[in-house]
Amino acid sequence: MTPNPASAAIPADGHAAAHGGGRLESFVYDDAIVRKFLWATIIWGLVAFLAGLIVAFELVLPSLANWTLESGSKPFGFLLPLTKIEWISFGRLRPLHTNAAIFAFAGNAIFCAIYYSTQRLCKARMWSDTLSKLHFWGWQLIIVCAALTLPFGITQGKEYAELEWPIDILIAVVWLGFFGTNFFMTLKNRRERHMYVALWFYIATIVTVTMLHVFNSLAIPAGWLKSYSVYAGVQDAMVQWWYAHNAVAFFLTTPFLGLMYYFMPKVAERPVYSYRLSIIHFWSLIFIYIWAGPHHLHYTAIPAWASTLGMLFSVMLWMPSWGGGINGLLTLRGAWHKLTSDPVLKFFVVGITFYMMSTFEGPMLSVKSVNMLSHYTDWTIAHVHSGALGWNGFLAFGMIYWLAPRLFQTQLFSKKMAEWHFWLGTLGILLYVIPIYVAGITQGLMWRAFDQNGALQFPEFVETVTRLLPFYWMRIGGGVLYLAGAIIFAYNIYRTWRTRPSTYETPVHTAPALTRAFTDPAQPASRLQANAGFGHKGDVFLQGWWHRVWERKPLKFTVFAILAVVVGSVVELIPMMMISTNVPSISSVKPYTPLELAGRDIYIAEGCYNCHSQMIRPIWSETERYGEYSKPGEFVYDHPFQWGSRRIGTDLAREGGTRTSQWHYQHFIDPRSLVAQSIMPAYPHLAEQDLDFAGIQSRVNAMAMIGVPYGSAVKAGKAEELAREQAKIVAAEIASGGGPANLEGKKITALIAYMQRLGKGVSSFKPAAAPPAPAPESDKPLIGEAVPAVPSVSSREGSGR
Amino acid sequence: MKLSDLVSNLGLSIFPIVGLILFLAVFIGVVIRATSRRRAADLDHAAGLPLDDGPVLASANPSHARAREVRP
Repeated sequence: MTPNPASAAIPADGHAAAHGGGRLESFVYDDAIVRKFLWATIIWGLVAFLAGLIVAFELVLPSLANWTLESGSKPFGFLLPLTKIEWISFGRLRPLHTNAAIFAFAGNAIFCAIYYSTQRLCKARMWSDTLSKLHFWGWQLIIVCAALTLPFGITQGKEYAELEWPIDILIAVVWLGFFGTNFFMTLKNRRERHMYVALWFYIATIVTVTMLHVFNSLAIPAGWLKSYSVYAGVQDAMVQWWYAHNAVAFFLTTPFLGLMYYFMPKVAERPVYSYRLSIIHFWSLIFIYIWAGPHHLHYTAIPAWASTLGMLFSVMLWMPSWGGGINGLLTLRGAWHKLTSDPVLKFFVVGITFYMMSTFEGPMLSVKSVNMLSHYTDWTIAHVHSGALGWNGFLAFGMIYWLAPRLFQTQLFSKKMAEWHFWLGTLGILLYVIPIYVAGITQGLMWRAFDQNGALQFPEFVETVTRLLPFYWMRIGGGVLYLAGAIIFAYNIYRTWRTRPSTYETPVHTAPALTRAFTDPAQPASRLQANAGFGHKGDVFLQGWWHRVWERKPLKFTVFAILAVVVGSVVELIPMMMISTNVPSISSVKPYTPLELAGRDIYIAEGCYNCHSQMIRPIWSETERYGEYSKPGEFVYDHPFQWGSRRIGTDLAREGGTRTSQWHYQHFIDPRSLVAQSIMPAYPHLAEQDLDFAGIQSRVNAMAMIGVPYGSAVKAGKAEELAREQAKIVAAEIASGGGPANLEGKKITALIAYMQRLGKGVSSFKPAAAPPAPAPESDKPLIGEAVPAVPSVSSREGSGR
Repeated sequence: MKLSDLVSNLGLSIFPIVGLILFLAVFIGVVIRATSRRRAADLDHAAGLPLDDGPVLASANPSHARAREVRP
């Protein structure tokens, strides 16, 4: 924005001197971009909620379709074909739901908040309108790309970071190149010297999300739409949950706290309760949050020190979280009566309350003994929904109800509708989370229950799933209420927009420019009387003069914020990569054969990790149910790791050899023909679609590039040859078990080869009494072990360390 | 010899303690600084920033003669 020449004549008065001291300038804010992000928030919000409702329905669909009346008829049998459609299977749609909720709905909401508040807090228009528009359209393009890839099984297989590498590059460019540049240049050109605390949270968001996204997404491409994470197994798990937990921290928490610190005072019409508390809140939150990731991996194959560190920092995190929550709520001091009449405040207060509930629950869940029960259950799902629907959703709704009349320069269409939205939303959240808490605790207790003979009380896994179905129905009720509220919200904002003026008024603001000549206040003198030089220096330091200087200097401030988040990252992640005792190797663990690798890629593409874990914890009930617990050394070739985070189906870490290949074939075609109550989708298309044998070579080569010892298999054509060879063996097994012949060219054969391989790295150790296995030939290390004859999943020799 | 072998043998076990002391000191520094009474005026100014939208000169599109204060 070029300063209006007419305003240059205005002398810098006392007001000006107090701020920047420079020439008085006039400027207008870019609210068109805020309006764009506002609409995107609403539209993607509806999409995300609807996608959530669909995946919730998919979990009850098989039981509904198989519901049989006494007469033998199935009134909902017509729904059964829906469980066989590959593009909408739970494994493919669930990432679409999570990505839409986090990056589309919450993402656009934070951009809306940042573009509105940053301009006003900096008393400056966004630096570049072009970058603002590139950011907006670039981000929407990313969302569309996600919607066009995830249902087709194009995914990296890492939770909340599923998007493939070309989209990842686009994200980095849009986030830092467009958004980051525009934001920091606006900061640089600001006319208010002090950076308000909301801006600190935005700075931390931008730099940390960049760091998380770049380091977690490092991958070697094996084609335009396929890549392998450079990290494997334990290291990949640590990096992934460092990323995922801090996506919660720096995408769903810090920008929303910035939003709270700006909009809460606006709505309450009074300053934040304690600005001092906000300073402590900011620094301790960003410093502590970054360490908490390993609490997602308690009792898995990560080293105990990392797990304990993650737990301790998570418990500490309770304090800054509640400090911030209290700071937000007490901003209403003396204005609580407004709560009864102002729907915006209702959304804010309930939103912050949900924030405080979930930030109490988070530290609790991160305590190992609690996590032992809660991990892999719906408890985690309930926890994230109280945060996402309550905190992120309600803060976004409240902000938009406040912004819409201002941005559209009119009155809100209906306050009554906003009230309805509030109550439907609140009841919807409660009806969602309470049954899902019950479901989570129920399933956790059933998994660990033993009968009086010391045997598992519920040995059939499916029993622990069917018990949850009533709660899944209740969750759908909650989801319907929440979505209904959101539809009313969208309609209300649409009608508000309809009453906008024909042209928007664009008020011209004035503020003095910041001058370069500004000198920071002189360093204060020491207040001490008789003391050594060091004491005087210390006293000067304690007077905090240095930090006041920082708060005016975005670059320095940003550097220190980066430092605060890098320390935890480095201390936790580097030892995992650099100190070999953290991942003891197991000599019997071999790379996947080319066919198994292709099968693993199908496993990832179908999103199997959304329901199946591959990680047996060293807990009695788990080793009883699944076999020998998982070792870190077993996963050294797993690019990416597939440990999973939720068991809607069984753990598969020791699946290999426990069932025949024909059983797997039948189970993929029609799970309910073998396990009547199963809620797994059917995968008949895998037996029809041809496996791309020719494409396996580039995948093997990409894996070899990141250090997987594939030996001669990297020679052109060799991987395909090995894969075809093994496919014949697996297909013959399926046929000999009574399945159809001619499956050797189909995808299902590769997937079954992978299934039969799972957990074999350790159990291929033979007990001492057994004859030693013949050493595999060096140039053909992979084929011989594909289908071992003796499935011994609990051999003690394999337990390693 | 790999880099990881070297790092494994560096004997880094003292570093967690050093880190603890360092960061505890920084935290205490931040708390003392944030709560120092001398900053009261600065902090009050900072806390008031969201509420201070500054003076408005005019509308950039003069067809709107009405005052900007259309907010409900």
